[in-house]
Amino acid sequence: MSLAWTIARKDLRQRLRDRSAIVLGFVAPLVIAGLMSFAFQGTEHFHFNLLVVDQDHGPVGAALMRGLSAAPIRDVLTVRSSTTDAAAAAVHARHAGAALVIPPNFSREAENGDSVSLRVLTSVDQELDGQVAQSIASSFAAQINADRLSVETALHSGAPAATTGTLVAKAEQLRLPEQVATESIGKHPLTAISYYAPGMAIFFVLFAVGFGSRSFFTERREGTLDRMTAAPISPIAILAGKALSVFVFATLSLATMAVVSSAVFGASWGPTPEAALICIAMALSVVSLTALVITLAHTERQAESMASIFVFGLALLGGNFVFVSAAPPVMRRLALLTPNGWALRGFTDLATSSGAGAAIEPIVAILGITLVLGAVAASLARRTVVQ
Amino acid sequence: MLRCEGLTRRFGDRVAVDGVSFSIGAGETYGLLGPNGAGKTTTIKMICGLLRANAGLIEVAGTRLDGHDVRVHARIGYVPQDLALYPDLTARENLAFFGRLYRLRGRLLKERTDEVLALVELSDRADERVESFSGGMQRRLNIGAALLHRPSLLVLDEPTAGVDPQSRHAILTSIEQFGASGMAILYTTHYMEEADRICNRVGIMDRGHLIAQGSRRELVAFVAEHDRVELTATGDREAFRDACLGIDGISAATLDGESLHLLAENGRKLLPAVLEAADRVGVAINSVEVVEPDLEAVFLHLTGTALRD
Repeated sequence: MSLAWTIARKDLRQRLRDRSAIVLGFVAPLVIAGLMSFAFQGTEHFHFNLLVVDQDHGPVGAALMRGLSAAPIRDVLTVRSSTTDAAAAAVHARHAGAALVIPPNFSREAENGDSVSLRVLTSVDQELDGQVAQSIASSFAAQINADRLSVETALHSGAPAATTGTLVAKAEQLRLPEQVATESIGKHPLTAISYYAPGMAIFFVLFAVGFGSRSFFTERREGTLDRMTAAPISPIAILAGKALSVFVFATLSLATMAVVSSAVFGASWGPTPEAALICIAMALSVVSLTALVITLAHTERQAESMASIFVFGLALLGGNFVFVSAAPPVMRRLALLTPNGWALRGFTDLATSSGAGAAIEPIVAILGITLVLGAVAASLARRTVVQ
Repeated sequence: MLRCEGLTRRFGDRVAVDGVSFSIGAGETYGLLGPNGAGKTTTIKMICGLLRANAGLIEVAGTRLDGHDVRVHARIGYVPQDLALYPDLTARENLAFFGRLYRLRGRLLKERTDEVLALVELSDRADERVESFSGGMQRRLNIGAALLHRPSLLVLDEPTAGVDPQSRHAILTSIEQFGASGMAILYTTHYMEEADRICNRVGIMDRGHLIAQGSRRELVAFVAEHDRVELTATGDREAFRDACLGIDGISAATLDGESLHLLAENGRKLLPAVLEAADRVGVAINSVEVVEPDLEAVFLHLTGTALRD
C-alpha cells in the first residue's frame, strides 16, 4: 500500500503543478456553477406585474380585483389598473408580464347567462407570465360558471325568483371545492445553485478520467512505466497507485466544490455524511471509468478522445447541463444508467431533505455501475501493464 | 551475477529473441552489440522483468526470475533507452520517487539521493525541474536513477543515444567506474567503438540470435587476417559493390549511404584491384581507409552486413 501511495503522491504532485488540471478540477466548476446560478436566479421566486383593464365597472370586475388582491396570489402578482392601449403598450415593452381585459357589460351579460369572455394580453417574450394570467382568467371563468350553475339549479328546484339576488350573493361566497394541490416530497424547494453546484462539480470531475488515462499513456510512452515495472513492485501496486491518485483528485475536487459553493453561493448539498458518501462513490466511478478508457485505448490520443466522449456523453445523459426533471421521460430513464445521473439525484434529494435514506439508493446504484465498469476494465487489462 | 539460458521471445509469428544464452560475472561489463531490431532491447526487457520469456531461464545473483516474485528486481538497476524521467519534477524529486520504489526511506533515501546527484554532477541543479536540463544532463540523471539502490547488476539500454560527444565521454567514464567497483554491467549499443572501449566481453546479436560472443581479442580472431576497407564514392555504387565482390580476397561488401564497407584479406594489397574496379564501372573514389580487424569487421564477417545497416 505504501508503494501505491508513493505512486499516487507523485501523480498528485504532477497534477497540482498542471494548471489545466487545477482549472478544470477546482476553478471552472465554481465559476460555471456561479454563473448558472446567477442566470437562473429568480426562477424559484416567480413574480410579475399584471395589468387589469376594467371596462365593465360592475360587480364581476370588482370580484376579480378582490380575488387578485387575496393573500396567496398577492405573492406572485403585482396588480395595477390600466387602459387597453396602455396595457398593450406596457406588455409589449415588457413593463408588465400580461394584462386581463374585462370587457364592457361583462357583469350584466354574465348574470343574464349570455356567453362572455375575458381577454388576456400576452407577449411571446414573457410566455410564463402569459400562461399564469391565462390560468387565472380560466379559473375565474370556471368560478363564474359554477356560481351561475348553482343559482340556476336553485331556481329550477323551486326557489322563488325574488331570491335570485340573495342566491347570487351566496354563490359568490362559495369556491370550487375540488382543487389540485402540488406538494413536493422534500421539505425545502430546490434552488438553482443547489442543482448546478453539484451538477458542475460532477461534470468537471469527469475530466479526471482524461487526466488519469493520459497520464498512464504518457508514462508508457516516456518509459517511466517500464522503469516502475522494473522496480521490486507488483503491477497491481502500480495500478493501485494510479487509481488512488485519480480517486484522491476526484474526491478533493468534489469536496472543494461542496465547501466553497455552500459558503460562497449558499448551495445546499444536504447532510455532510451522506453527501460525502455520494462524493466517494462518484470518485470511485471516475476511477473505474479511467480504468476502462486505459484498457480500451491503445494510444494517448485515443485515450483523450475516448475520455472526451465519455465526459460529454455522461454529462448530457446524466442531466449535468439541464434540469433532468425537465427532460423527456426517455432521457430521465437514461440518466439512471449513469453514475453522474445518480449522484445528481442523490445530491438534489439531500438538498430538498427528502428523507434520511435519500442517499442510499443513489450510492448503491453508483457503486453497482462502478463494479460493472471495473469488471469490464479488469477483463481487458491483461494487455496493458502485464504483457 | 546474471545467467541467461535459451531465452526466447515471440511476438505472434515473429521470433524476436531466439535461444539466447550468456552470463555476466561481478565486475564484468558485457556488451550486446547489434543493429536496430537485432533483439537487444527485447533481451534486456526480459532480464528486467518487463517482458516474459516464452522459453528459457534468467538468474540474477542465483535467484531465478519467474515474474511472480519481484524481490529479485531490487538487485537490478535498469536504465531505459528513453529518458524515463518526469520533466515536471525536479532532479531530486525524480530520484526520491524512484528511490522509494526500491524501498529507500528517510535519511538513507536522502543520503543516496545526494550521493547520486554528486555522481552525475547535478548537485547544483538538484532542485530544478528536469525539463530545464540539457539532453546530456537528462541522460546522466537517467542513469543516476538506476543507481540509488546500489544494484548488483546494471542494465543499460543504449544510454548514449542522441548524446553530444562530451556527455557521451562522461557517461562511458562513469560506466567504467561502476564496472571497476564490482558491479556487473549489461550494456547494449550499436556503436562498435563504445563496446570496444568499455566491455570486457561482447555478444553480437543479429535477427534475434546471439551469433558470437567473447572478449574483443577472441572475436577479432574470427576475422583473422581480414581488414575492413571503408570507401566513399560517387556514381553507380551498387555496380561498384558487385564489382568488388568479384575480386579474389574480398569476402563481404555492403553499402551504407555513400560508404562501401569491404572485408578483405590484406586490404592494402587489394587496393589497386579495388581502384581498377571503380574505374571500370565509372565510379569516382572520394576517400579510402583500411582499418585493422575490429568488432565492425567481425559483424561484417559474420552477417555479411554492416552494423548500422
